[in-house]
Amino acid sequence: MLQLVADGLVVGSVIALGAVGLTLTYSILRFANFGQGEFMTWGAYLAVSALAFVLAVTGGGVMEPLGPFSFGWQLVVAMLLAAALTAALALAVDWLLFRRLRRGNAITLVIASFGAALALRNLVQFLYGTLPEYYTREIQIAVRLVPRDVLGGLRITPDQMLVIGLTLALMLALQLLLTRTTLGRAMRATAMNPALARVAGVDTDAVIRATWVIGAALAAVAGVFAGIVGQIRPMLGFELLLPLFAAAILGGIGSVRGAVAGGYIVGLAESLAVPLVGAEYRAAVAFLVLIGILMIRPAGLFGERA
Amino acid sequence: MTDALRVENVEGGYEPGLPILRGASLAVAPGEIVALLGPNGAGKSTLVKAAAGLVPVWSGRVVLGGRDITGVPAHRMVHEGLGFVPQTENVFANLSVLENLQLAAALIAKPRRRPLAEMFALFPDLDRQRRLTAGRLSGGQRQMLAVARALVASPAVLMLDEPSAGLSPKLVGVVFERLKAVRDTGVTILLVEQNVKAALAIADRAVVLVEGRERLEGRAADLADDPRMAALYLGAAAEAH
Repeated sequence: MLQLVADGLVVGSVIALGAVGLTLTYSILRFANFGQGEFMTWGAYLAVSALAFVLAVTGGGVMEPLGPFSFGWQLVVAMLLAAALTAALALAVDWLLFRRLRRGNAITLVIASFGAALALRNLVQFLYGTLPEYYTREIQIAVRLVPRDVLGGLRITPDQMLVIGLTLALMLALQLLLTRTTLGRAMRATAMNPALARVAGVDTDAVIRATWVIGAALAAVAGVFAGIVGQIRPMLGFELLLPLFAAAILGGIGSVRGAVAGGYIVGLAESLAVPLVGAEYRAAVAFLVLIGILMIRPAGLFGERA
Repeated sequence: MTDALRVENVEGGYEPGLPILRGASLAVAPGEIVALLGPNGAGKSTLVKAAAGLVPVWSGRVVLGGRDITGVPAHRMVHEGLGFVPQTENVFANLSVLENLQLAAALIAKPRRRPLAEMFALFPDLDRQRRLTAGRLSGGQRQMLAVARALVASPAVLMLDEPSAGLSPKLVGVVFERLKAVRDTGVTILLVEQNVKAALAIADRAVVLVEGRERLEGRAADLADDPRMAALYLGAAAEAH
């Protein structure tokens, strides 16, 4: 039981990070971006390239593990580079595609995001191939935190603990950014009323750029986290897309707190469902939870508007 | 003396080929309250939105204190010294009263920024509600917050689009009294209004717009009894039928 909860928290962390980007783009750009999953994939793969680059520049070519973790400091640098590059990619996609369609209706943007997702997925497959990649081949020994006779016991790797801890820290930082900084207030103001934001002096184009940067950077970090605790594959983001949407909608689309809560609920529901219905139906259970919550709270857990 | 705000032969609208403003002009002298009146669909709101940079100006000029601000992006207008309070949804309902004002203050350079304490002194109701989410304010308090938000940037000219909309007659009186107090702090005011009586009561001058052009202009006290006013309003109503 405890083991399933821990597994759910790890998966939920990756989903939460991706769902936050999705909910931010939805509330500020006013469309559901089906390309969000691909930013996760690109983040994961760009970190592979960045890691190779960092290892080549530092001369050794070998990554010494950092403390109890399976990776060295080079992956931390690679993750930051990947986040910056994924943010640049998101800005480029916006400049090339979405910016031109913003004056049209939202459905045009949604369909365009489908196209962008398809192009990004195929491009990553073309560049990196279809075989799984890994940041490190180090084998990690899971630490036993709870003995086997207490609720089935709990073993968790330091990497998994780091993923959960860093996700919570990033979400706290984002919450502080949104509530304590001028950029955050400007983002919330733009989400509420873009025309009023402009007459109040908010450069809404700059807010849109900041939204892409934050959403894509978080997606890249989620992709790297997924790669640290699993494999890096071209379908990584696509397979997480439905859980991302489930998390964002369940939490109340537009709400950052909701996306985080939704991410963890979906992750836990999927994980806890495995012994009950088998791994094949785990995604379906997440949707049953989504339907159940929406029947009680149609606007989602933290949603203000239906 | 240079006009605080001058609109010269402005043509513009939301859709190309469908002009709402058809050569509209008006001038507001420093320290004045000017009421912009006219029947429904005359283009009053469109005119102030065009001046604020929210509606495209196809031809003509908007001049603020001698500087041509035509085509300046809406978010730069506060830096030029032009404040605008839209008619509806004029506060950020998801931010607290304090956050609404803090955002406006943070977006403006320090020399132009009016201390928030000054705003709370001008609008004591807001001081008591500073932690409340703006969406939970009453209609009158929302108008006060919307005005305070615009005043934080020390505008030379403040344009308001129907501040009396949706308010009880008593609250209209309260809001308009506050506007007079705002004018007394040195802010020039251009006021779009459907409530002709209330607007003429506080305005120094008024301009009547019909079909996107100014048709009548004069001292507010004179226009209150001017039979041409009724003719313009009724004429537009008759044409509409």
